[in-house]
Amino acid sequence: MDLFLQQLTNGLAVGSIYALIALGYTMVYGVLKLINFAHGDLFAIGAYLGLTLLTTFGLSQYLGPMGVVIVLAVMVMGLVAVVGAVLERVAYRPLRQAHRLSAVVSAMGASIFFQNALMLVYGARYKVYPHDILPKNAVSIMGFEIPLVRLLVLLTSVLMMVALYLFIQKTRIGTAIRAAAIDQRAAKLMGINVDRVIMIVFLIGPALGGVAGLMVGLYYGQINFTMGWMYGLKAFTAAILGGIGNIPGAMVGGLLLGVIEAMGAAYISIAWKDAITFMVLIAILIVRPTGLLGERVADKV
Amino acid sequence: MKKMSVFMLVLMIGLLGAGSALADDPVRIGLMAPLTGAWASEGQDMKQIVELLAESLNAAGGINGRKVQVITADDGGDPRTAALAAQRLSTQKIVAVIGTYGSAVTEASQGIYDEMDIIQVANGSTAIRLSEKGLKHFLRTCPRDDEQGLVAYQTLKDGGYKSIGILHDNSSYAKGLADEAKTLLDKDGANIVFFEALTPKQNDYTAILTRMRASNPDVVFFTGYYGEAGLLLRQKMEMNWPVPFIGGDATNNPDLVKIAGNAAAKGFRFLSPPVPQDLDTPEAKAFMESYRGKYNGEPGSVWAVLAGDGFRVVAKAIEATGSEDPGKIVAYLKNELKDFPGLTGPISFDAKGDRVGDLYRLYEVDAGGKFVLLP
Amino acid sequence: MKDVRPVIYAVFCGALLLAPFFLNAYWVDVLNNVGLYAILGLSLNIILGHAGLFHMGHAAFYAMGAYTTAIINTSYQIPVLWLMPLSGLVAGVAALVIARPIIHLRGDYLLIVTIGLVEIVRIALINNVFGITGGSNGIFGISRPELFGFRIRRPEHFFFLIWGFAAITVFLFHRLENSRFGRALNYLREDDVAAEGSGINTAHYKLIAFVVGAVWAGMAGNIFAAKMTIIAPESFNFWESVIMFMIVLLGGRGSIPGVILGAFLIVGLPELFRQFATARMLVFGAIMVAMMIFRTEGILPPRPRRYPAAVADGGGDGP
Repeated sequence: MDLFLQQLTNGLAVGSIYALIALGYTMVYGVLKLINFAHGDLFAIGAYLGLTLLTTFGLSQYLGPMGVVIVLAVMVMGLVAVVGAVLERVAYRPLRQAHRLSAVVSAMGASIFFQNALMLVYGARYKVYPHDILPKNAVSIMGFEIPLVRLLVLLTSVLMMVALYLFIQKTRIGTAIRAAAIDQRAAKLMGINVDRVIMIVFLIGPALGGVAGLMVGLYYGQINFTMGWMYGLKAFTAAILGGIGNIPGAMVGGLLLGVIEAMGAAYISIAWKDAITFMVLIAILIVRPTGLLGERVADKV
Repeated sequence: MKKMSVFMLVLMIGLLGAGSALADDPVRIGLMAPLTGAWASEGQDMKQIVELLAESLNAAGGINGRKVQVITADDGGDPRTAALAAQRLSTQKIVAVIGTYGSAVTEASQGIYDEMDIIQVANGSTAIRLSEKGLKHFLRTCPRDDEQGLVAYQTLKDGGYKSIGILHDNSSYAKGLADEAKTLLDKDGANIVFFEALTPKQNDYTAILTRMRASNPDVVFFTGYYGEAGLLLRQKMEMNWPVPFIGGDATNNPDLVKIAGNAAAKGFRFLSPPVPQDLDTPEAKAFMESYRGKYNGEPGSVWAVLAGDGFRVVAKAIEATGSEDPGKIVAYLKNELKDFPGLTGPISFDAKGDRVGDLYRLYEVDAGGKFVLLP
Repeated sequence: MKDVRPVIYAVFCGALLLAPFFLNAYWVDVLNNVGLYAILGLSLNIILGHAGLFHMGHAAFYAMGAYTTAIINTSYQIPVLWLMPLSGLVAGVAALVIARPIIHLRGDYLLIVTIGLVEIVRIALINNVFGITGGSNGIFGISRPELFGFRIRRPEHFFFLIWGFAAITVFLFHRLENSRFGRALNYLREDDVAAEGSGINTAHYKLIAFVVGAVWAGMAGNIFAAKMTIIAPESFNFWESVIMFMIVLLGGRGSIPGVILGAFLIVGLPELFRQFATARMLVFGAIMVAMMIFRTEGILPPRPRRYPAAVADGGGDGP
């Protein structure tokens, strides 16, 4: 039983990162029906930018660990949001009237571009975050030793999800985003500046991906230019699992994916872990063809 | 359709460009390395080292007064691209090719070089079968899986461990090494409590560590790469699990300590051929000096240095035989070259083209994160 | 305006046919790779381009074909080319079994399921499933193909094998496109509710498209195994599926010349960019984005169907 709970927390920790990346995926998808294959690479860019900012400004000399994390998060989110907006402007906007698969090819081209750009700028070797940023101690919850950092990651993604949900549901811009998600043309007729809405979505989605990259860097320490591919695929899986376009769905999908992985490795086979995950996914989709929580996309795909 | 004709035109120009290169003067040596893709860091290190060695060789007058030219081709770390790279190199009048890294990748190119009578000196392909096919012109500077398996077995046996966990990453290299070690240990009736593969390039290995811990090994032998080894050590410490880890030669990379942190890496042991930093031969010292001068750091993995050694033995053989005849060069390398002072210890080859000699050393990471050679 | 396309096709075919006599082994081998991916692209085109199914797992069927050939050839010494139909059959049967429960999934859900499929197959191959796939080492020592007693060995020989097969593929798939079956596929791609309403059994047609594409990919796998003589799981990863996917979309969904051009671009360009060394894939990525921006429906999208009144279609060979 102990082992089970231990594996559960392992799974939740990984899953919360998948969830954070999946939030960005799902948001962009909700409005544009676009699978942004470059999203994983925006996440990797976030991880690399976080490292650059951390080492050039020497933030930890002036601030405590929490301060460093918050300042870094804000800066990384800002920068990656700009990259995301530029990506939208250059690679996706000209394709908005085209068939949706055309944009997928453009997204893949962008993904190859970003990945190799990171390799050329930062080198192909692993990059490593400094070890002394976050406290290494663990907190004891119900007799369980859980590293503080894990709680932090979980907390961040839950916070982000709640904030995003409230933003979409309660604010004027959020309403515009929802309107554009249902029918862009109708939204335009109602006086909504759809281009601006899409731009905002492309600021928020990548920002979430970027902050997830920072979290991975801070937590695991090791980053690599190809990491976006793997995490991107996992997050896409998570988004689909929960029901794409659905914000709580991305969260549930991410956490569940992490837990399935951990349980697959724990009780079935480590080497078959990813295959087990996909088998579960396929089984779920056969039973529920639009994901666990259902999709929130009004338009016919 | 216009685009199609433009494309064909570009293709033709590309062809002319490729065909018109001059072939007179320099000695042409190929380098096939994964410059892009998942193994890009290894390939780029290989390129840096071989180019550096070629530069110093040319500065010192070249081979018998002739300059050396290194022609690099990217194999992308993938068999299909490697076959193309090999085709490309074999049209460029090279005497020999250095590389490449992955065993399956090397294998996809072996036949092509052999047909064209080009010598191939692999640097990171340790799969046993590569040199068991009777190819005339194939050599390698890296040891084979069975040799390292034997050393690993000895080390684990000498450690007197009662229960052993073996973890690999399902790459053909790591799996091969793990299998070799396991076969030998099984023969001895050793108690292997855990034998599994992790999925590389996934940051979180806590699920695997948790499961491995439950099987309670006295020692874990990890045959995979330094990136995963670093993370395993780090996450193992976060779990407060004090079990000792032993690694194979793919963990011999200073980045391992950077990833794991000094505290977590301390006490980690690994088997590896020596790297030039640890050798006090004049060749190794001169190499380290020029390397630090040019690239401002230490060479990464031992495999890249082995590519450098491949280049050096080929250059030596061309110089000694005064010929570019592949048959003569290979005969020299296999029969006459004995204990050539390599950057990774003395180099000799056997009749199959495999590197011979007692190569492996046991290293341990000290409290300051330095690799210390154990006696 | 007079249609110049036939002239261009003829010039292209002529140039291609002469190419091996003027190019060196390397460029011939590049063309071989282009040809192989053109065949794969054409087979995926049936599924993705014509039936409109978002299928990003085509490498799974390619792998099944290649492994079928490799396993049987190395254990029973049956000549490689004889195994081509069997490779296609294995891939086709697998497609039939796999596709049945998932074929009704829409768009992106099908996409992730097919991605999952290719990952499951790759992981199974790495883990040496049933003890016959050789794990991550793969299978080596596959024999060279022989055709009428001639041993196909050098790139120039493979050129004619591969492009010959590609020509057969083009011919057959062109016929298929213009058959009743092809038209039905296009109809359900545009609007499967309406197609269903007009009496087309959409699930049935989708399934057939899937199986036909898989059979062809399996046969391409046979050629790949024969050409490489060694196959390993890395050759069939998700990225391979992505390459095939991009070939179809970049060239123009549903267009045979488009797919062939796509194969030239996706496989050929990285070779032309070798001079950029480590930056070659960066340039490639940027060019892909640019090509999509300037030709948003692919470079050579299919021309709208025309139905000349005078020429009566014989009803096609569809059911």
